Amino acid sequence: MSASKRSTDLQTIWFITILCLVCGFLLAVFAYGLQGPQAAAREFDRSKQMLIAAQILNDEEYFTLLDKKSGVAKRAAYREGVLVGDEGALKATADEITEISKKRIRPLLTDKEGNVYTLKEKGVDLSDYLEKNKKMGYANLDFKLFYAILPNSREEIPEEAILKDLSKMYAFVIPVSGFGLWAPIYGYIALESNVDTVIGTTWYEMGETPGLGANITEAWWQNQFFGKVIFHESSTGKVDFKNADIGIVVVKGKVADVYGSSPRSKSAVDGISGATLTGDGVTAAYHDSLTPYRNFFIKVSGEQKTTAE
Amino acid sequence: MNKKLPLSEYFLDPLWKNNQILVAILGICSALAVTTTLSTAITMGISVSLVTAFSCYFVSLLRKFTPDSVRMITQLAVISSFVIIVDQFLRAYFFTISKTLSVFVGLIITNCIVMGRTESMARNVPPIPAFLDGLSAGLGYGIVLVLVGALREFFGFGQLFNVQLIPNSWYATAEHPQRFQNLGIMVLAPAAFFIIGIFIWIANLISKPEKPA
Repeated sequence: MSASKRSTDLQTIWFITILCLVCGFLLAVFAYGLQGPQAAAREFDRSKQMLIAAQILNDEEYFTLLDKKSGVAKRAAYREGVLVGDEGALKATADEITEISKKRIRPLLTDKEGNVYTLKEKGVDLSDYLEKNKKMGYANLDFKLFYAILPNSREEIPEEAILKDLSKMYAFVIPVSGFGLWAPIYGYIALESNVDTVIGTTWYEMGETPGLGANITEAWWQNQFFGKVIFHESSTGKVDFKNADIGIVVVKGKVADVYGSSPRSKSAVDGISGATLTGDGVTAAYHDSLTPYRNFFIKVSGEQKTTAE
Repeated sequence: MNKKLPLSEYFLDPLWKNNQILVAILGICSALAVTTTLSTAITMGISVSLVTAFSCYFVSLLRKFTPDSVRMITQLAVISSFVIIVDQFLRAYFFTISKTLSVFVGLIITNCIVMGRTESMARNVPPIPAFLDGLSAGLGYGIVLVLVGALREFFGFGQLFNVQLIPNSWYATAEHPQRFQNLGIMVLAPAAFFIIGIFIWIANLISKPEKPA
């Protein structure tokens, strides 16, 4: 049918021009029209991932209350601004997740010396900042981003009070990024207020092999991070915040086989078989993204000691 | 080709008799890549079906005006616009799905099946048969994907849909090294190659008597 039809060059050019214009117009309309919902979806996912890293939400989207000593996360319900333990709680709704993120996640900045600033003080617009610096990572900027997770309480804490006493926070979430085997990987690690013990981690954007490297986004793998410490202990079991290596090491195989029960095992997690290179990328990402925050960690842990005394 | 084929024929033919993977040996590259687990295989099957169906529909709509010399470019433009729209839509409203799919969605454009169906069928028939043909070509591809994915996930991880099916107590441990272990090769691409090869062999055995000599 169509093969029998011969068109002149002019017709062909007209056809292609119109086709391109129509396709281009359609794509432009869709891209423009969906920009808002896409940005909202991205932001929602970011806050969700932070809540998961801090074990306020689990991967099945139930709110949880974490017992920091035992590492057991009990199911919870969101009632009038706070989470209450409730074994029969329903799945968290999108509205509840948005509300609790607004209430408890506070983006803050820290400089090379470990001083902490609010975004307002530095005139930083969060979405601009995130967009512009995502590729390079936030760790090597003059003003590095981190998130303070406020305690589970009904009272409102003013911004100045947060800055004055960081040790009262429930957790700190540090953005981590690096390179996997195929593509950049982006995630979060949530640290307890002692800025050493890990609460949890998530990887929310990556392009690793499904079934292998992509397992870094799975809860069963992320669950082993609880209780690990980011400051590597020396062989005598001492921690020197000023000089110790920082990071979590993904070993090849099982931690017990590689490090036994030596102090190094406290900062190491099991690798995924068939995904050694992804594991190496993840190890490097934790090291490179956390080390620049060293002075901030020292400052917060110092504050904590003085309040404890 | 007989022009008065019943509509059902357009739908049924590519499902089995002309299955794109088993008979036409198309779309093998993506079949190797996305079948490590069942869930990715299903998502890929569905998205390829939809993309092929709608691309075939639009290519068929345009078939009377498309100059012969640029028909491939036209098909490609239609296919890629459609894939991009689907991708944008997923990103806005199904963010979690789009995260797992994003790697594959772009690859649909280069899937041989989509272009194969638009080039060999859609540009010769009216839109509705073209749509059915595209849809079932994608479904036929999806079914094979799901079977391969199920085999690979079960033997490679002892799971289906991420649910552990082989009891953990059956697995080899330091104390009982002679017990069961996951088949490491199932997780890697060559396993899909072997499985698909065996499927093609079986399909040939079954459909042989129907073939005219």
